[in-house]
Amino acid sequence: MFKSYVPKPGRREYFTILLVGVEIIFFSLFADNFLTASNLTQIIQNSAELAIICIGMTLVIIAGGIDLSVGSILGVVAVIVGNAILLGLNPILIVFIAILSGLVLGFVNGAIVAWLRIPAIIVTLATMNIGKALVFMLLGGAWLTGLPPVFNGLTTYKILGLPVVFYIVLFMYAVFYYIFTYRPFGRHVYAVGTNPESAKLAGINHKMIQIATHSILGGLVGIAAVMYIARMGSVEMTVGHDLPLQVIAAVIIGGTAITGGRGSLVGTLAGVFFITIMKNGIVIMGIPSLWENSIIGTLILLSLTFDIVMQKRVEKKKLMTV
Amino acid sequence: MQLLRSRSSLLAILLVIIIVIMSMLNPSFLSINNLLGVTQFGAVLALIAIGQSLVIISGNGGIDLSVGSMVSLSGVFIGLAMSAGLNIWIAAFIGILGGLLLGMINAFVISIVNMPPFIATLGAMYLYGSLALVLTGGNPISGFPQEFSFIGQGLVAGIPSQIILIVIPVFLLICFLVYKTTFGRSIYLIGSNQTAARYANINVKKTRFIVFSLSGLMAGIASIIMTSWLMTARADAGFGMELEAITVAVLGGIHIFGGLGHLGGVMMAVLTITILSSGLQMANVNSIWQLAILGFVLIGAVFLNQFLNKDNSKK
Repeated sequence: MFKSYVPKPGRREYFTILLVGVEIIFFSLFADNFLTASNLTQIIQNSAELAIICIGMTLVIIAGGIDLSVGSILGVVAVIVGNAILLGLNPILIVFIAILSGLVLGFVNGAIVAWLRIPAIIVTLATMNIGKALVFMLLGGAWLTGLPPVFNGLTTYKILGLPVVFYIVLFMYAVFYYIFTYRPFGRHVYAVGTNPESAKLAGINHKMIQIATHSILGGLVGIAAVMYIARMGSVEMTVGHDLPLQVIAAVIIGGTAITGGRGSLVGTLAGVFFITIMKNGIVIMGIPSLWENSIIGTLILLSLTFDIVMQKRVEKKKLMTV
Repeated sequence: MQLLRSRSSLLAILLVIIIVIMSMLNPSFLSINNLLGVTQFGAVLALIAIGQSLVIISGNGGIDLSVGSMVSLSGVFIGLAMSAGLNIWIAAFIGILGGLLLGMINAFVISIVNMPPFIATLGAMYLYGSLALVLTGGNPISGFPQEFSFIGQGLVAGIPSQIILIVIPVFLLICFLVYKTTFGRSIYLIGSNQTAARYANINVKKTRFIVFSLSGLMAGIASIIMTSWLMTARADAGFGMELEAITVAVLGGIHIFGGLGHLGGVMMAVLTITILSSGLQMANVNSIWQLAILGFVLIGAVFLNQFLNKDNSKK
């Protein structure tokens, strides 16, 4: 019984990887400048923030939650990081501050969800809007520009032709793959997502799991905020407004069940590349970027419908064999 | 009924406090003209809050995050139909039908495909919102005929026409549907215990389908008021309205897990939030702060509901 929860990549994950392959072939055929070294590096660079945040979102969704406030957390932390850079603080200290402030914001979400017993969708809808106002207040209605290029090395410095952020992403996925698969905490997240009641009876503190997953997500968003600054060199007013959609889409397309209890990091990473490559391809093919959100929104609905239909077929088969 | 009375009186006290504070900050706030004018702002919110409340009452994670986008997109439908040379009232009717259609798409995905409402309507929120942008190319559609402004800006017997001609009749009709017919009772029943409802021979899928379609229909009607009021069809007309609608529903005493709450309380909450936000507007508070305040009110109100219905919240 326990073994079936081991999040080893299964058929669903391979399907997403296949989709990414099809997507790459499609854009290589129909978009001229897609398959160039500089564009592929660009894709990897642009996927880094999404990839990091999606680790946390996968955890939260597997535990049965959701977080709409990731964009606002990114915004708030990015403003903090920007101001810290302007103050001339030590870069390592700044990264530490970023992670910590993200962690605190995530903890607030988790604490309200767990202790006040309010559905995550409601809590994070509220904190998303509170966060937007906070970013507005902190920025004072203007962009934060003219930041010294403290973190630019993350994107400009290359090892074996790939930017440093790529290796950070790989490292984080390796660490969290280990935690998901081999640590008790990872199992507990799956258990809470599958059935909170029985998890509770099995002695798992499901409230702590909810708080921990939201906090980890917040901390990861903090890291992503540093990458955002490294990439953009400024903080704009609408920072992170479309982020929740992209993050949730990547995780769902990667095969994580929206009802919790199922999902894996391999699938999520494939989902991240699917979304980033699609955004890149849309730009290269000259489709107005206004279409972007409709396409991603449609993809969410299609992907979930696909999963639900497949699930039903599997259940039917099980019934037949019994 | 006991619950309704206590929630309504609670909101009434809150309302009086808000009005007193606002009129101390700005003496002209208390004038009859201003108070009547304020009700204009509430018309759109009242309609979508009715739809939202029914969705939440029907339970099983019922929530509609796409209402704001449905208002925007239906408004764009009206604008496009008008630009295509149709009579403005036919265009308005197309807006209603468009809203209903969008709601039915949600309803199909949720009740037939069986997708959790929050994610289905989240996807729909971005889908509809960006379709509205795509269809208008980001530019507001203007050039509505003057007679169209009657709905959003006209007066009937000194009362804003959208209130007396649309909101009150719709509210009464919905109240009749919800509180005097078996269909209405079945909404509450599937919200409080879906299994029991199924054993009672209630078609849960059909009921849920109608509830989500109704939410779209309400958004369609609201988009007429919105468009007539702005006299333009804007792709971002309904921006942030899902938060407003959910907040108002919950503040009005609708229990977030379904099955509990009365539409009367929701109307009181609409009044409270409308007066609050127009007061903030007169005090020159940026609209992004209004969203933040709504966020705090939302969490506070859900907590209050859980606290007041302790026995029910444990299920």
